[in-house]
Amino acid sequence: MKRTLLSTLLLLGVAGLAGPLAAEELTADEVADRAAASSYYQGEDGRAEVTMTITDRQGRERKRELIILRRDMGADLGKQRFYVFFLDPADVRRTAFLVWKNPTADDDRWLYLPALDLVRRIAASDERTSFVGSDFFYEDVSGRAPEEDEHELVEVTDTYYVLRSTPKDPGNVEFASYTTYIHKDTFLPVQTEYRDSNGEVYRTYTVEEVETIDGHPTVVRSRMTDEESGGFTVLEYEDVEYGVDLGEDLFTERYLRNPPAEVQ
Amino acid sequence: MKSVADLGLKRPWFVIGFSSLLALLLLVLAAVPTLFPQLGGPLPALRVDTDPENMLAADEPARVFHREAKDRFDLHDQIVVGVLRPGTEEGVFTPEVLTHVYELVETAESLDGVVRSKILAPSTVDNIEQAGVGAVSFNWLMPAPPQTQAEADAVREKLLNLPMFEGSLIAPDGRSLLLYIPIESKDMSHRISQELLAKIDSFGDSGGEEYHITGLPVANDTFGVQMFIQMAISAPMAMVLIFVLLLLFFKKFRLVLSPMIVALLSVIITMGLLVVTGNTIHIMSSMIPIFIMPIAVLDSVHFLSEFYDRYPQYRDRGKTVRETLKSLWRPMLFTSLTTAAGFGSLVLAPIPPVQVFGLFVAIGVIVAWLLTILFIPAYIALMKESSLEGYGLRQEAGEGEEARGLLRVLSRVTYRRPRTIVAVAVVLLGLAAVGILRIQINDNPVKWFEPDHRIRVADQLLNERFAGTYPAYLNLRAEEADAFKDPELLRYLREMQDSLEASGNVGKTQSITDLVQTVYRELLGGGEEYFRVPDSSAAVAQTVLTYESSHRPDDVYHLVTPDFSEAALWFQLKSGDNQDMLEVVGEVEDYLAANPPPQALQPEWFGLTYINVVWQDKMVAGMLSALLSAFVVVLVLMVVLFRSFLWGLLAMVPLTVTIAVIYGIIGFIGKDYDMPVAVLSSLSLGLAVDYAIHFLARSRQKREKHASWGASVDAVFGEPARAIARNIIVVGVGFLPLLLAPLVPYQTVGYLISSILVVAGAATLLLLPALLTLLARRAFPAERSPSNPPSS
Repeated sequence: MKRTLLSTLLLLGVAGLAGPLAAEELTADEVADRAAASSYYQGEDGRAEVTMTITDRQGRERKRELIILRRDMGADLGKQRFYVFFLDPADVRRTAFLVWKNPTADDDRWLYLPALDLVRRIAASDERTSFVGSDFFYEDVSGRAPEEDEHELVEVTDTYYVLRSTPKDPGNVEFASYTTYIHKDTFLPVQTEYRDSNGEVYRTYTVEEVETIDGHPTVVRSRMTDEESGGFTVLEYEDVEYGVDLGEDLFTERYLRNPPAEVQ
Repeated sequence: MKSVADLGLKRPWFVIGFSSLLALLLLVLAAVPTLFPQLGGPLPALRVDTDPENMLAADEPARVFHREAKDRFDLHDQIVVGVLRPGTEEGVFTPEVLTHVYELVETAESLDGVVRSKILAPSTVDNIEQAGVGAVSFNWLMPAPPQTQAEADAVREKLLNLPMFEGSLIAPDGRSLLLYIPIESKDMSHRISQELLAKIDSFGDSGGEEYHITGLPVANDTFGVQMFIQMAISAPMAMVLIFVLLLLFFKKFRLVLSPMIVALLSVIITMGLLVVTGNTIHIMSSMIPIFIMPIAVLDSVHFLSEFYDRYPQYRDRGKTVRETLKSLWRPMLFTSLTTAAGFGSLVLAPIPPVQVFGLFVAIGVIVAWLLTILFIPAYIALMKESSLEGYGLRQEAGEGEEARGLLRVLSRVTYRRPRTIVAVAVVLLGLAAVGILRIQINDNPVKWFEPDHRIRVADQLLNERFAGTYPAYLNLRAEEADAFKDPELLRYLREMQDSLEASGNVGKTQSITDLVQTVYRELLGGGEEYFRVPDSSAAVAQTVLTYESSHRPDDVYHLVTPDFSEAALWFQLKSGDNQDMLEVVGEVEDYLAANPPPQALQPEWFGLTYINVVWQDKMVAGMLSALLSAFVVVLVLMVVLFRSFLWGLLAMVPLTVTIAVIYGIIGFIGKDYDMPVAVLSSLSLGLAVDYAIHFLARSRQKREKHASWGASVDAVFGEPARAIARNIIVVGVGFLPLLLAPLVPYQTVGYLISSILVVAGAATLLLLPALLTLLARRAFPAERSPSNPPSS
């Protein structure tokens, strides 16, 4: 079922999932925390099939299909584990990534390359590297911890909180600031604009479709645009499930070589 | 003819008013949209074009392919910044210098027009390396300026360890850096490099490093600026010099002013037309003023020379003007037509800027001719008779016709030793033929700057240290998707690269293979034995996917298309000479023929260094056909003018000798046949035929007044030869300011024009009378009477 962003938002607004009166009293940090929770911590775990379409500035498309598994390791905004498994294209099928997300330190990442039968830990000092060649960063998929930035509520409209965030450690990121439009009812960020030191928007995240799945408002279609080149990547989430009861041992190196049933 | 002369004499104000208003109108039409673009309106503003790509028409297949391929691999034109610290062991790898480099890159990232994500510098690239057992890291190679010498050394080691960067980003000796700053369009490069220079200036001398900015876009843009210096300095200087010379020859200030006005009006009208019709100021069209000016003066010099010599006879300016026009009417018309034909023939060269140049110089020549026959009589008519009192050649009537001084010697030699002169000419022609066979066709836009220009200096220093600053690309198209994941094809690419790199012309090559091998090596523990292509296409695909998880995933798609059906092989050449590029093209052809690739590949070149080769090629062929067709047109005109095939052929002798000798000399001294040299064939043709026409026409006239050719020779070497000699001096000196121009092509034109004048003058004043003496019986039917045998 495809819906436009506007109609989705209207529908959500009419449904009145959250009390707007109470919300207006939230601080910027609270808004940031709730936005992170609703984007990345819905349910205790989750599974989705993702179609990634990378479109470059010439309009050439590359499609990749992957399955993403997620398991929360504790409370919201805490540690999480991700398992990313490639289905398509054929020559990278069974390639897998494992991410142990640690909001207060560097994440741990592993990579499995089936054609080389090789597991390697990826040591990266930051999470702002490309997510498998797309315009999304790892951090966009796994979530940026709210405490890494200072947040400022610049505007509260009828529908959105507008949050401006600046990094506490500017040396570690490529942006100077970002502005997020967070939907008041669902606390889903529906648009994020990343600005450079000149104040120009060079990267934009847009939510294009939201569905309520198992009671969780869920982004099922999002887009990251590289404003400099005009290229963009669209992620379409299909067969989203929550509470699938993913075991903790599934998110270990052992399962990189031997994909679990959950991704087959 | 008579009515034309009368128009100027009888209605001087009309002629002067009309031509001045026309020039003024065009000046305004060209200037207003340029100075006040906000007014809008249909007229184009003056545009400068320094893009060598425009040497090819927009729809030229090679250029269309170049653009498409640049898009296909998302490649940009680049400003290249070299950072050197000569004479030191650690080079630029000190905390202080690297801090400057870091800041410079930060500045570049903030500049408008810079493609930020594609900058290549230590702080913008990823380091792929081992990070302990079973771990590989993708981290910014220099995320922050190093604080200690050890950290600075580490930056060097990391760069040297990555084959993609050795020789391109870091010099192989590990002492210098090259930063690549891609820009959105070439015309921004001057501004951006100025902003970079401002940042560089703020560093002071504390780090002891030098910065050298180069790259073709910077060269081209700087070129545009120098072009205006040429037009603003050389052209006016040429005018001043010509004016001084005319004053020396013809004394009268007010009279001498008239050719200057004619020249100025011709230039304004022509350049105005050029701008108003939407043409650009290009390296070629910027030379239009300096070509038109001496040519415009040519006719006026003939006119004034005749007027100066005759005025004492009549003491009546109206009558002198009419008499002068009477004897000069046909030669002036035909010299203008032939010069216009010479330049007009350039329209046949398939290079748009050369076509525009040829067309507008031809227009300028015709404008100058019209102004000479209309404006100068009008101007003289407005002078008071009394102001001309005592004016003219100070001699008794009748003696003015006689040759004097050097010209008298010439007249004797040509009449007495015609066979020797012809023999010398034939020997010269033979030598010229040898020289012409040695001509090297070559060009290199960077060499358009003088050797001590900072761009040339940077070019030399950087190419000594790095693998080369001239980029060229080979697009290899396979038949199906994923072809460039095939390990066999990737290995083939590297073998081809090895062979090409060994040949000497190529400093470094880069392909998808290099990227795959580097990532594979680090995935397998960093040992050199793993610096190879993995064994299956899936393994290649997964290696590439690993790289795509870095900070710069798009780097892959500068080397291969997203469907892996086409690859770009990058070449870094140490020289931008067309000949060197052409050699590499030949080496690739040979390699592909001798070593068939495992899959069918279609090779096609692109990149600015290659584009230069394409237009050079077209220029040589184009110039040859232009020259040949101009030759035919001029010959026909000559036969018509002289109503004789023999005389027509004679008129072609000086230009044939001139062109042959000039190009022979170019062949012997080893000067490359480049763009300015190619264009000069037209000028040689125009100037040499001009002299021949005047000389032959006046010889005929004089012969009619004397009993025999032998008796006329002295008279021919009187006023007619004097006018030609004055012309050689005026035009020769008039082009001299070009030697002061800051760009080599202008200097080349300056030197060659002087040589052309000397050769054309010698061929006219020596060879023509010698030939006339030998052929007198055929040339002058009246000579057939036995009383006047030609002496030998």
